[in-house]
Order: sequence, then structure tokens, then C-alpha cells
Amino acid sequence: MALENVSVYVEGVALEMSWADPRRNLSEFIFDTVRNALDDAGGSLDGITSVVLAAHDLVDGRSLSSMVTAPAAGAYLRDEIRYGDDGAGAFAAAVTRLEAGECERTIVAAWGRSSEHDVDAVSRTLFDPIFARPLGLEELHISGMRAQDWRRRHGGDSRVAAKQRAAAAARNPRALHKGGFKSAASYPLVEADLPLWGDVAAAMILTTKPTGVRLAGLGQSSEPYWIGDRTLHEATALRQAAERAMREARCKPAEIDIFEIDGLTLYDEAIGLEAIGLAKPGSGLDALAGNEKCNPSGGGAAGYCAPSMGLVRIIESVLQIQGRAGGNQIAAPRRALATGSSVVAGQTQTAVILEAA
Amino acid sequence: MTAVAVIGVGQTNYRRAHKDKSSRELIWEASKMALEDANMDIGGIDAIMAGIAPEALSGEGSVERGGMMGVGKPFLRINTGGVTGSSTVFAGTTYIQSGRAKAVLVVALERMGQATSSQQVFNTIFDPVYEKDFPLTTITMAALRASMLMRMYGYTEQHWAEIAARSFRNACRNPHAHLKLDITADDVLKSPLLAWPIHRYEACPMSEGACAMVLAAEDIVGDRNAAWVQGAASTSDSYAMGDRIRRPEATLVDLLSLRLSAERAFKQAGIDRPLEQIQAVELYSAFSSAEAMAYPALHFCKPEDGPRFVEAQFSDPSLPKINPSGGPQGANPVSATAMVRIAECALQVRGMAGERQVADVDRAVATGQGGATQFSTVCVLGKKKVH
Amino acid sequence: MSESELIEIAGQWNFNYNYFAGESASRFFRELRENQRIMGTRCTKCRRLLVPARAFCDACMERTNEWEAVGPEGTLDTFTIITTQFPGLPKPPIVMAYVTLDGADTALINLVHGLDMSDIDKAARRLNSLPRVRTKFIDEPKGRITDFSFELI
Repeated sequence: MALENVSVYVEGVALEMSWADPRRNLSEFIFDTVRNALDDAGGSLDGITSVVLAAHDLVDGRSLSSMVTAPAAGAYLRDEIRYGDDGAGAFAAAVTRLEAGECERTIVAAWGRSSEHDVDAVSRTLFDPIFARPLGLEELHISGMRAQDWRRRHGGDSRVAAKQRAAAAARNPRALHKGGFKSAASYPLVEADLPLWGDVAAAMILTTKPTGVRLAGLGQSSEPYWIGDRTLHEATALRQAAERAMREARCKPAEIDIFEIDGLTLYDEAIGLEAIGLAKPGSGLDALAGNEKCNPSGGGAAGYCAPSMGLVRIIESVLQIQGRAGGNQIAAPRRALATGSSVVAGQTQTAVILEAA
Repeated sequence: MTAVAVIGVGQTNYRRAHKDKSSRELIWEASKMALEDANMDIGGIDAIMAGIAPEALSGEGSVERGGMMGVGKPFLRINTGGVTGSSTVFAGTTYIQSGRAKAVLVVALERMGQATSSQQVFNTIFDPVYEKDFPLTTITMAALRASMLMRMYGYTEQHWAEIAARSFRNACRNPHAHLKLDITADDVLKSPLLAWPIHRYEACPMSEGACAMVLAAEDIVGDRNAAWVQGAASTSDSYAMGDRIRRPEATLVDLLSLRLSAERAFKQAGIDRPLEQIQAVELYSAFSSAEAMAYPALHFCKPEDGPRFVEAQFSDPSLPKINPSGGPQGANPVSATAMVRIAECALQVRGMAGERQVADVDRAVATGQGGATQFSTVCVLGKKKVH
Repeated sequence: MSESELIEIAGQWNFNYNYFAGESASRFFRELRENQRIMGTRCTKCRRLLVPARAFCDACMERTNEWEAVGPEGTLDTFTIITTQFPGLPKPPIVMAYVTLDGADTALINLVHGLDMSDIDKAARRLNSLPRVRTKFIDEPKGRITDFSFELI
């Protein structure tokens, strides 16, 4: 486990969900959010020697995205690294840098602009070109199969949960309220289950100096390489990641006040709530429908674009703990669990527990 | 904080294309060799870091997921262009030093043999707004710098040719190398001109292959043959090359990011007289000019003494041996190249470099170079543990 | 199918993107098209005039504000001559150079035209003297970076 003498704290956060804003190119879009996170942390770059990024070349449409984009995120003459993974993975990597004593303050940032790239075409490249890609598979199809597997076992549908999710997103001042689009739904998914594709940038400043929000636990895990080797109606890697995080934070799901679960569709979010142990198998959708602690941000209905979503979930949790969430604020939460998933179809998972310090 | 060692190295051979193996098989093959070298099985690995640079080179979107081995391990993909390989190693050392893992498998794969036009792909790394309309490629970027070095410090085409010929000759002793050429500087100069002043026999090959290493915390190293990571540092610079041309603190050919990385890594490793304390160097120098830019950044000589330093290498046996493996000119599996540099240094320190072994290596230094000479890494490996 | 036959599956890697140039670059391109001049933006902190124009200074992580025209003359900083044809890229020989236009603090890349290329080494020597250059616009600028190139004075 992490070094006993180093704790990691959140110093500043910023988040933007928007749609096809032609006033800013990608670098400028990134700069605005990173600059806002710096300002949220007091404005100074002093002592920031590290920058940890999550970005995908194909999402950004630059074959080596970080070459053009990293300087917009503060990489200039700093120890910068870019993960081709979810933002929560980059968050975890940034935490290890602080814990290893490599830096005292670090920037973490992740972004993706659905309005600039072809979301479905990029999704199709994730599948191996020998066995899977010729079939035209997309991650949403895997989510569809996951939903079907879950429904066959447990029954029920997503109508009530979808309605609640849309209402939560409507209350979230940071959500995408105008613009965006949805892909075509494949059976049994319906449009309300799908992510709302948007332009998303998320940034955070982490430090070893105490602030009001502390990292209490961190866990990561992965699923097998072959999708056919996985148990689709469960999220095994997420379960393992959450178990590791909760062991480190010495807490149980019942002792957590906010759950921000990243999933591509509503069913992925529901299965995620079951995996982390909040909901019993088969009751994930009920939890989303009836428990205000679950995805108060509105989850994927509030706006979605890989690979920023894990960091978005972490930032939503921070704002809840700080009491700064706005219209979707849940009364005085002390502890939150946020997760981030990455390709292919939730293959890697990161779980993060944050506490009021 | 724990010390970290390289206890296992695995490399496939590097060649133009491995048509007999899938991407995942290449990753697996290198990883298996690294685990066997470390006398470990996958169950002993706590986390996996996989490095893949531009996916357009392979035409596969998430090819690093082929590194999913064992069950339920933390897994992250690193993509930092040319330094992907070394960034991946550093992600692993950091993970161990955070206390979250005892052993990490790091692996990098290059699959560019599947691309039918790699220089076209390299053009798509540039800014689509201001620069994409120009024939900017890795070759022309190197040429822009080479011409600047010639004017500023007196390098000649002969120097570029000598460096390239030495690397290709060294590659003849490396069984993994892709391009093994027993050639002279004259042969280089006689080869076709690609982009002045770069000749064909100065350019690196396009190679496929995978490299993997097992990194371990000191308390599980035991009596294994270990190369200790004495220093590791990485620095990024501005993307805009035009901003660096007249920058007062360091021009485009001063490699400020490499110098800053070297200074930090050398300090961690306790190096203050690099020419005496380092016996082998593996430079990420895809072109001769990149090697020349590294000399002053690594404090081997002053910038204006670079041309003389090239000449001295052929007559002064006390100088560190540069690119005994042949370097990127012997094989350039882009995503893996920076890891190969570290792996080769680990083999040198562990006395396992076979025919290319340099005598009495106590310390070896590996560099990484990527982006628009924008990302730089320096890794110092040694026989002794440094805290 | 013989036992040693290795299968290769043909693939394509084409994606469509809409790259947003953004306000700063749009104004930069508009200035090219309408006024045939090259603009930079000044960093509010380090005060460098950054060319081509951009919204922020990455070294300072601060926004830029003032717009100023640079050139039309400048000094060549470094160059290369592309002598080999690569698939999908323009036909050689091509001279590409970074030029610091008068008034700018940073250099701008573009092609250099109007040089005798019959002897590459001779052309290289000429460029190596870091000659003064001027920007030359095409007859009907379209608002792209290719609206202008450099020519030796």
C-alpha cells in the first residue's frame, strides 16, 4: 500500500462540457480548463513540476496528440506523461507520483471532443482487426450484449432509472444542456440508455499539502483480453478495483455518501453499482432510480466523451464533498467513491475514494 | 523510498514485419522472455504498463490491450510518442516507488509493418491548423536541425556519416538488430539524399518488435542479477519549434528538455563527471544530428566541441561507448525504441550483452527523445543501489 | 491452403474530422486572406510576440491579448531541402524553412520558393547564410497557411 507518510489532497478542479464551440481549437479548449483548475487552486504554478494527462490520438485526430496538446495543459519544462487511458487512470498515476515523492503538486487533465471526431468509427478501431473488427463491433454493441445478459438473468427495464438520470443531469449545472448527440441504440438498449456525446475537458491539481479533500483509497484492475473470456453481466475488474480502494480507505459501501460510477450506458452504470457492492445483483437499476446518492451528476446523460469521464466522476465527487456541486448538491456528504473505465468495453477500471479532510 | 531494479529483459528480434505473429503474440513473446530472465511467473507481477505510440502506425486502436496477462492487474497504457518506451518504464518505477507494487511488467510494442505509408502517418502528428499542409515528417524535422548544427557548431556531412556508419557497424554485433550494415562513412555519403543534409544510410529503419522488462522493488530482488535504476527523469518542452529557434535560454538544437532531464537523473545517481562515471550510452538518436545534440545535453562536451567529440570517439578508448547495440539506426521500433535503450543498458550493466558487451560497465545511460524533439528522458542504470 | 500460409487482412485507416481552428487561428487566416499580412499575439506575462497568432502562451500558461502584424520581411533561421518523394506528400525538391519575421519573437515555418534548385549543395550554401526573406502571397488567398510562402530578397 501507499507510503504511510504521504497523503494526497485535491487543491483545485475544473470541468467543461460543451458542444462544437468553434471559437477554440483543441489546445485552447484544453488550456481553458487547465487554467481554470489552476485558478481554482489559487492561480499559481509554483511547485508544479508534474503533469499527467489522459488523451487518445484518434479522439483528438492528431496521430500523436500530446505533442500538440500537452503544452496547453502546462507541460512546458515539466515532467509530463500522457496515458492513452481513462482520466481516472491518469489520476491514479498522478497519485503514485506524489506518493513516490517525485513531486509535491501535479496537474492531471483529460479531454475529448465528440464534435471533432467520428465517435462510432473510432470505437470500431478498438477491436482487433483479425477476429472482431470485420464484424463492425462497437463498444456500444458490447454494452448492449451486457444489458441483454443482465436482463435475461434479472428482468426489468431501464425506464424509471433513465427518467431519474435525465432529471439529475438537468439539475447538474456542469452538464451539457444544449447540443451533443446520441449514437444509434442496438437492442435491448434504447436511446435514453445511451451516453450523450459532448465535448469534455476535466482538470485537477493534486498536492501533498493538506486541503479540504483527501484521497482515502485507490484501486485498479483489469478484465481479460478476450471479450468472450469475460462475465458480461458483472463488472469483475470494477469489483476488484473498488474492493482494493475500500480496503485502503477502511470503509464499506454503506459508509460512502456519494457514488459516481462511470459506465458507457445506463446498464453499465447499474452493473457498476452492483460490482462495487452498493446494490445487490439485479438491483442496480433500482438504485439508480431510487437512491439519490447514486450518480447525482446524471452520469452519462450529463455529457460523455472518452477518455475524460473517470476524471469527470472524480471532480463531481470533489465538488459534492466541498458543497460546491450546485443544483445537484446532495446534503453534506463526507465520503465519495468515483470510478473510471477504459477501453475495450470497460476492460480497465479505477476506483477512487475521497473524503472530507 | 525503495530502490528499483531491472531484473528481467525480453526482446523479440526487430525486423521490417513479423508476418508470422499477431500483435498480441509479439507482446507475449517479449514478456515471457523478460519473466523467464527474472525467474518469475506472471502471478508475481502486481501491475502492467504497456507502451504504444501512434496507433495509426499499426492501424490498430487498442493494441496495447494485448498486454493483458495474468488476472485482475492494474493496467495502464502510455503514449508519449518517441519516448513511449521510457515513459512506460518510468510509470513502472513510479508505481513501485509509491509502494503500490513490488513488481511491474513493462512492455512496448511497435507494429508499424502493418502501415503502408508511415511518413504519411508521421505527417498527421503535426498541428492540423497551422502545419499540416507542409511536408513535415520525422526526416525533415531532423534535417532542419542538422542544417542548424552545421552552421552553428561546424559539423559537416562527414560527421553525420561517421556517426551513422559506426552505429550500423555496431548493429552487426546485436542479434536483435534489424539493419546490420558493415559500411563506412563514404558509403553513407554516396547513398541517396533524402532531405538535405540527410542521406538514406543515415536514416533509421522502420522496425517491428516488442521489448519487455520486469522491474522490482529492492526487497524482492534477492540474489537476481540486477541493474539498479539510479536515476530517471523526463521533461517536456513547447511543441512549437518556431518558439524555440531563438529562445534565449536554449535554441532548437540545444535540447533543453534533455539537458534538464540529464541534470536531474545524474543528480539522483550521484554523477558529476559523466565521461568518467559512465561506460556505455544508448542514445535515442534516430539521426546522427540527434546524437550530436545529446552530447552537450549530457555534459559530454560543450556544443562547439561536438565535432571534435565525434572524432575523439574513434581514437580515445576511455570515452563511453555510444550505442553499442547499434542504436535506433540498427532498429527503430518507434513505440519500443526508448525502452530498448534502457533494456540494452540493463543488459550492459548485468554483463549479459553478448558480443556487444562493453568491458567493465558500472553505469550505463539511456536517453529517450520524442515529439518535435520535445519530450526527453534520461535513465541511469548501475551495478550499485542508490537511494 | 498450405500449412505455412500466413493470412494478411487488408485494412483501411481513414477517419473524418472537423478540426476547429478557433478564434485566434481564424482571425490569423482571415488576415491572410483579406489583408495579406501575418499576425502575432502577445503574451500578457512574458510579453513575447508569438507567431502564428494563438490564444495562450504555453511557457507561461497565460492568455495572449494584443494583436500585431509582423514582417513582411524576416530572417531565415533554419531549413531543409526535401529531395525524395514520399507517398502522399508533395513533389520534391522542396525547401522548407523557419523564418523569424521582423517584429516577431518566434519563428514561422513555410516553404521557400524562387531558388535555383539545379544544384542542391549550392542552394544549401545559399540558405545556410541565413538570408533575408520576404513573404509572398498567392494571387487568390483562401485563408490557409499555404496562402503565402517565403522568397529570398
